[in-house]
Amino acid sequence: MLSSTSSSDSASTESGGGKRWLVAWLIALSLVAATLGTVEYHWRGRGYRPTILDSTLLWSVQRDRVYAQSKTPLLLLGASRIEFGVDMKVMRELLPRYLPIMLAVNAHYPLATLRDLADDENFHGLILCDVDSVGLLREYNEMQREYVQYFHRQWTPSWHLHRALLNGWQAHALIADPAFSIVASTRRWLDNTAEPFHNYVDFHADRSGDLDFSRTDAEAIKRHFADTLEGNLAGMPKRTADEWLADLAPIGVWAKRIEARGGRVIFFQSPVHGMQQTAIDRAMPRVLYWDRFASTVTIALSGVDEPSLNVFPLPDDSHLDYHDKPAYTRALVDVLVAHGLLQR
Amino acid sequence: MQFDSFTFLVFFALVLAIYNAIAAWSARKWFLLLASYIFYAAWNAPFLLLLIASTTLDWWIAQRIDAATETRQRKGWIVATLLVNLSVLGYFKYSRFLLDNFAALLGTLGVHYVPAKLDIVLPIGISFYTFHSLSYCLDIYRGKFAPTRSWRDYALYVGFFPQLVAGPIVRFTQMRAQIEIPRRSTAAGLGLGLTLLVLGLFEKIVLADSIFAPVADALFNKPQAAGSALAWSGTFAFTGQIFCDFAGYSSCALGAALALGFTLPINFRNPYAAIGFSDFWRRWHISLSSWLRDYLYIGLGGNRHGAWRMYLNLMLTMLIGGLWHGAAWTFVVWGGLHGIYLCIERAIREQLAPARWQQNAIVRFGYGLLTLFGVMLAWIWFRASDFSSAWLIQSKLFDVSTLRAGIIASGSDQRIAVVTLLALVVVHWLFRERDIKQLFTRMHPLLLGLLLAIMLSMVVLSPGENHAFIYFQF
Repeated sequence: MLSSTSSSDSASTESGGGKRWLVAWLIALSLVAATLGTVEYHWRGRGYRPTILDSTLLWSVQRDRVYAQSKTPLLLLGASRIEFGVDMKVMRELLPRYLPIMLAVNAHYPLATLRDLADDENFHGLILCDVDSVGLLREYNEMQREYVQYFHRQWTPSWHLHRALLNGWQAHALIADPAFSIVASTRRWLDNTAEPFHNYVDFHADRSGDLDFSRTDAEAIKRHFADTLEGNLAGMPKRTADEWLADLAPIGVWAKRIEARGGRVIFFQSPVHGMQQTAIDRAMPRVLYWDRFASTVTIALSGVDEPSLNVFPLPDDSHLDYHDKPAYTRALVDVLVAHGLLQR
Repeated sequence: MQFDSFTFLVFFALVLAIYNAIAAWSARKWFLLLASYIFYAAWNAPFLLLLIASTTLDWWIAQRIDAATETRQRKGWIVATLLVNLSVLGYFKYSRFLLDNFAALLGTLGVHYVPAKLDIVLPIGISFYTFHSLSYCLDIYRGKFAPTRSWRDYALYVGFFPQLVAGPIVRFTQMRAQIEIPRRSTAAGLGLGLTLLVLGLFEKIVLADSIFAPVADALFNKPQAAGSALAWSGTFAFTGQIFCDFAGYSSCALGAALALGFTLPINFRNPYAAIGFSDFWRRWHISLSSWLRDYLYIGLGGNRHGAWRMYLNLMLTMLIGGLWHGAAWTFVVWGGLHGIYLCIERAIREQLAPARWQQNAIVRFGYGLLTLFGVMLAWIWFRASDFSSAWLIQSKLFDVSTLRAGIIASGSDQRIAVVTLLALVVVHWLFRERDIKQLFTRMHPLLLGLLLAIMLSMVVLSPGENHAFIYFQF
């Protein structure tokens, strides 16, 4: 039967002298510093370096900023192309009237976030929504839902502070990356598998990232992306362009809701090249898909139509190298200003 | 805020510094109360008002109970506080469950009723602080002690941040002297407290989150896809996860309190070394099991009305204990299983097994293993999202045809989880009768330093997204 707590619960706080605790803790902290230093040194010696890691918390830090009053919030929605393509510092300098906010999520198309912003009556800003015909497929609508739900259900000032401190830790310590955790290392040792992937992304606290293709095999990534895209499209249920377009009706409604509040949604298709472009054109010909969608919304631009944007090399057919980011960002701002969508 | 967050590290360092810098005990208590409310508001600030309102009401009603001279009046007040507390708990925690079951009941009668979709957020810690308040009022009603006249002291008892959100459920008698008599941090208290904090973080971050959770999630999130080997390793993993998650929280709570000069009761005492199910409940979530015994089982009549009534009371206590954990029938089954275990055990002990068998070392060890197996089976119902998932997992455990191939094909994460659970069970057996606080206090400083270094290094070397403690949802 159930039993009560025993008297031994009340261990004396005075038992054990303070000196022995001090000795124990000094030993512990010295050993911890030595252990962590050794592990950090080991991995750095193998060519790894620390970076900020994206998460629902980091995304929520930016999501919190969309209500800014002093400047017009300029939200960058999309997936990796805009996340790794826009230089936030350059954009801030070129557009002092605006507050650029990065809400794109690598490998996650943005419609769930767009819907959430449409539902948010307190949001009145501008959105640059980078999405292509593939990203508008019904199957991808909820990809960013986890981020949106986290923001609405769990995000608090307490987590904000936690994430700010975590940023500092991740920016300086390689061991803050779960890939180098003790459990992950043990698993690799047991499975006799390779060391962690040498990442060619440097991620920043503002959620933009730099891709350094000199640190990776761009040709292999190019083939991987093309194969993945082909595989994904082949695995999708077959539907006609009319059916695809019919699915997009709510998107126009969301955009109009934002516009009715004084905001604006610019649908933008980042340029892609080579095998990526070929795969998209084959599966979803522009004239039947993107162009028809573009005619249903107020503003839609395609980077392919803008020579100043389409001229940049894309080493993996999809993304810019970080060296080209500032110039690309200037070109993108020029295009948006030229179309009368932004003011310098 | 969570113990396993950077925010808590900053918060706790500030609290420790300011608390010890304040000279007057009264001012220090006000500061602790303020810190506790900030700690709570970090989750959901509006619900702080509910906590303060609930605290104030129960503090006031307790005084009315004490002041009432007639039995009828006293009964009236205790019924009032029971109604208020249980209604609030019921609204936030059980509304949806009750409506869904009402709709299902009507459905069996051929009436189609779709209940309104309720979007009720559960105030964190409500189950715990409600039990704090109820025990206080019930003890006043039973005349065990006089109520405190100080709202602040009572509010600090209920809201003391280390135990506010997930226990242990502390009785007022365990806290009264600690609140009324001045205290502060001591070197020994700080040393042991921070050691317990590190132990708790090690249990939570390294064991529960990094080792056990991924394997448990792999089974319970997709039970249809699991084979027999994953059913076993996943069940092992959840057995480890639930202990390390909750005992980790309790260790942190004890440690944080001790660093401030307060002693909270131990909530776990090596439960996976239990010999028998009554022994398990003397070792698992001790503050809840003793609460249920003192205020529910005894309230129902305990063993004062014959054997059958005793079994009934036992079953009811465990069923309600199951429902306390969550508004789902799976929790009721979990409680029911433990109720059945306890009834069978008591019947066998009293009527079939001679005393000499009960003292036999081999029998005791075998019964310990049987207890662990029974507890593990029940955990499946605790963790599964619904009946069919629980039943499926349970049946897969006994599907020996695929077991051997599954073991050979099992991943390193499964093997690590199983080995870690076995190590945990061995540790529980080795330290079965030892008190963790005494163990740390008597350990040689060199050995203690080494142990702390291992735990702390592993904590830092286990980064990841933060997960909420499992018991927050209760």
